[in-house]
Amino acid sequence: MNNLALFHGTAKSPNEYARELKKETGKKIVGYFCSYTPEEIILAAGALPFRIFGRGDISLADAHLQAYSCSLVRGALEDALSGSLDFLDGVVFPHTCDSIQRLSDIWRINVKTGFHIDVVLPVKLDTKSSGEYMADVLRKFQRDIENGLGVVISEDDLKSSVIKYNRIRSYLWNIYRIRSENPALIGSGDLHAIVKASMVMERDLLLDELSVFAGSLHGGNVAGKPAGKRVVLSGGVCNLPDIYSFIEDSGGTVVGDDFCTGSRYFEGEISLKGDIVESIAKRYRERINCPAKHSGLLTRGEHIIKIVKESGAKGVIFLFLKFCDPHSFDYPYLKDMLDREGIPSMLFEIEEQLPSEGQFKTRCEAFLEML
Amino acid sequence: MITDGQTPDQEKEKRKIKSVKKMKEIMTNYYLEAKTAEQTGKKIAWITSGGPVEPLIVMDIIPVYPENHGAMIGASKMGVDLCEKSEQMGYSRDLCSYARADIACAPVNGGPIGGLPRPDMLVCCNNICGTVLKWYEVQARYFKVPLFILDTPFCHTEFSDEARKYVRKQVDEYIQFLEMVCGKKCDFDRMAEVGKLSVRGQRLWQEVLDTAAYKPAPLSAFDAFFHLALIVTLRGTQTVIDYYTGLLEEMKERIASGISAVPNEKYRLLWDNLPVWYKTKWLSEKFAAHDACLVADTYTSAWCGSLKYIDENDFLGTMAEGYSRIYLNIGVDEMAETVIEMVDKYDADGVVMHSNRSCKPYSLGQYDIQRIVQEKRKIPTLMIEADMVDERSFSESQIETRIDAFMEVLKAR
Amino acid sequence: MITLGIDVGSITAKAALVKDGKLLSTAVIVTGYNSKNAGDTVFEKILSEAGIKRSEIEGIVATGYGRNSVSFAGKSITEITCHAAGAHFLNPAVRSVIDIGGQDSKAIVMDEAGKVKDFAMNDKCAAGTGRFLEVMARALEVDINDFGSMSLKADNPAKISSLCTVFAESEVISLIAKGEKRKNIIAGIHESIGSRVAAMAGRLGLTSPVMMTGGVAKNIGVVKALEGKTGKSIEVSEMAQLTGAIGAALIAMTI
Repeated sequence: MNNLALFHGTAKSPNEYARELKKETGKKIVGYFCSYTPEEIILAAGALPFRIFGRGDISLADAHLQAYSCSLVRGALEDALSGSLDFLDGVVFPHTCDSIQRLSDIWRINVKTGFHIDVVLPVKLDTKSSGEYMADVLRKFQRDIENGLGVVISEDDLKSSVIKYNRIRSYLWNIYRIRSENPALIGSGDLHAIVKASMVMERDLLLDELSVFAGSLHGGNVAGKPAGKRVVLSGGVCNLPDIYSFIEDSGGTVVGDDFCTGSRYFEGEISLKGDIVESIAKRYRERINCPAKHSGLLTRGEHIIKIVKESGAKGVIFLFLKFCDPHSFDYPYLKDMLDREGIPSMLFEIEEQLPSEGQFKTRCEAFLEML
Repeated sequence: MITDGQTPDQEKEKRKIKSVKKMKEIMTNYYLEAKTAEQTGKKIAWITSGGPVEPLIVMDIIPVYPENHGAMIGASKMGVDLCEKSEQMGYSRDLCSYARADIACAPVNGGPIGGLPRPDMLVCCNNICGTVLKWYEVQARYFKVPLFILDTPFCHTEFSDEARKYVRKQVDEYIQFLEMVCGKKCDFDRMAEVGKLSVRGQRLWQEVLDTAAYKPAPLSAFDAFFHLALIVTLRGTQTVIDYYTGLLEEMKERIASGISAVPNEKYRLLWDNLPVWYKTKWLSEKFAAHDACLVADTYTSAWCGSLKYIDENDFLGTMAEGYSRIYLNIGVDEMAETVIEMVDKYDADGVVMHSNRSCKPYSLGQYDIQRIVQEKRKIPTLMIEADMVDERSFSESQIETRIDAFMEVLKAR
Repeated sequence: MITLGIDVGSITAKAALVKDGKLLSTAVIVTGYNSKNAGDTVFEKILSEAGIKRSEIEGIVATGYGRNSVSFAGKSITEITCHAAGAHFLNPAVRSVIDIGGQDSKAIVMDEAGKVKDFAMNDKCAAGTGRFLEVMARALEVDINDFGSMSLKADNPAKISSLCTVFAESEVISLIAKGEKRKNIIAGIHESIGSRVAAMAGRLGLTSPVMMTGGVAKNIGVVKALEGKTGKSIEVSEMAQLTGAIGAALIAMTI
């Protein structure tokens, strides 16, 4: 007996969940993009950090964004323009890539979703001055969100928010670890739902539910399909739950990832010692970087190889959103590093419209057969 | 569309800009010097088009621009082959075609000048886009040379104090980086001099572009695309000042003698975004056949757009803001205001926007800029979908129809 | 005054004769591979059917994809301007036009005089054009002329999500294999082209009344799908396919 249904329900219809929550509790909801958003500060301000994914058919967004921008950006704008996000009290855009950067401007000009805050984080993460700037930007963000919500954030608010996030991330990390060791216990589609729900669910409720779920795992009920060939997924945002079942149907088992909507979301604990904002900044600096940020030339390649070795995976499936430049630029060197280690890999570009099931499964099966 | 394309040869000669010959000489010498740097012991830095070149001039480092090389590749119609090669190397076709062409060039010494000379260092300023970061990372891995990144935070609605402090600090770090790679100290007196020369050069470039406000315009945006090269590559040198002084003279003479870029200028248009490098002549002739002149553009004016932020007497201190607040590093609404200012200044009847697949910071937001311009100035705008270097994304007969239809709309007003 | 408009499209070539501002005669032929010949052929056809001599014609304008190969035309004007003028003739109240042709689709907004104010074109991809429908009709073994009416019979339109005509065809084939009802697949195809074109038109901002012109206007399924996606009612004239040629003939009066 577990609470997977709640996670799946929330992950499937986050906007409906948020609307209900607002209706029942009047909670302030702040939308955000990207796992570089300093959620800890949003939570400390008493609001719900709500990640925006954007799905569905594009029609209104076509008037503002060319077809060569990714479906995350187009889908999110579509949601905003169609009024699906009118429950938001504000929206936060951290600097990520060129597309999100322009989405922020276009959103600011055309959409009314409460206050609009740009968090212009540094692109460099590995220098002293960029670290200082990062902390400065977080402090500025604190002031901006205090203004936006009409609150004052105390040191205690920040500390207690950080403690919550450390606990949430610790649960998520553990659930990933358990699954990697015993894939039959949790379906990868379930894992995806849990992580996605974690980005939108009221955080106190989330903590309770994660605790319940983690508890149910130790019950030792072996559910799910028998394990297939172990693979690691690499990419950015993956908002297509069906991909997991396609991979499993093709004979694979996902035992790790470096997704923005996966392990990068919960990697890294925040120290409570010293200045709390500095500690928060440290986590965002030291966590494995998104390709839109710079932290060394081979860091991501080394990281993927590490995940593969630690999880005993046999291969890597790269899943990029079509038109995602930062990931596409890294791909050749990552593939090269994997090739040198003798780790096979496959690349698949995905869009909001799921790739034709037949095409994807054929390629996936062929790849897994190779392993 | 039947037009009289037969102008007497003398007429055509008269209309040609004489300074072009000088520019070709200067650029040839510049590339020669770069390619023989090993022999002269000079160091080479590859730098982004929006990057601060002045400190390189001060340190006697030869600046080389992969983007300028990209433009040359496009203009020589070598873009498709190189882009295809990069795709074989694993780079997605949706990536910036400058980057793809350059990345493919390096291992084969491809392109119209047999490849760029190896860099001793890479200087990447991300004020123009996030792609350059990735592109320069690729080259840093390939050439195994030191990479300096000047991170200029995006100015959605302001240039924050936090950003100002950060960029200013990085300017110092940049100088330290150059000192380390060159093994010598920076001469700050020379820095001040070069700063002044840079500002003078930018002012001259602005004056050259300003001459197109005259009716009829002595030079078109297509001419400006060509003459742009010096202010981008050698900003801070006396060469730039001498050249643009000469070019400005020539423009003034043309105005005095009644020589215009388009023989029968009836319609004045503004161009937005990078050029379609492999089709500049075709586009120029197409519009000229309609008696239309592209009198100004947002791309070439970007290299004198920071003048308002730079104090020539404190170049080092003010360059942080100057480099951070360029046209591509500001919000879409601020860009729209700039476009409207240009429409007014040059008295444009319409705007032609190149929706350039390769450049997201320049192209995403164009639809909103288009709308704002149409609302505020009630002039028609034309969207041309293409790519700056990859000719596979250019559909000639379709674009011809769009241009014809747009000109029909203009003529009927 | 008698004027002539010739519209050489990728699939058909059309001609219209206008006398003193009234439509005198029209003709349509299949273009074939040689657009120059098509221009000549449809010219001869309309002259003989209307009983008019070449010398009686005071102005000729050519339009369409093959407009520059019509050597006997006095001027060539794009189909954007001609469709606007033609639609205005068919109904002067019309303020927006959607034209789906063989190889492109356009949306036009015009003023009360029938002059173009702004336009948008989809010329990069077959998925919003007549060609898309032809490919699909062939895949489903349906006569293209029945395609539209069959789409209206659907009880549960299938979703076709591929952006590309070729991959959409694969999608249709797998839907057939899954036993999806043919009428529902056909409806899905019509929804798809409706979406594509409506998105382009949406960028432009349509003002009512809206008229659909061009060959595909004969397809009632597309018209209904477009109405659904744009939220606007769309009128179609009997002369839809000839709109470009009529407009060209009218413009010839002013040259």
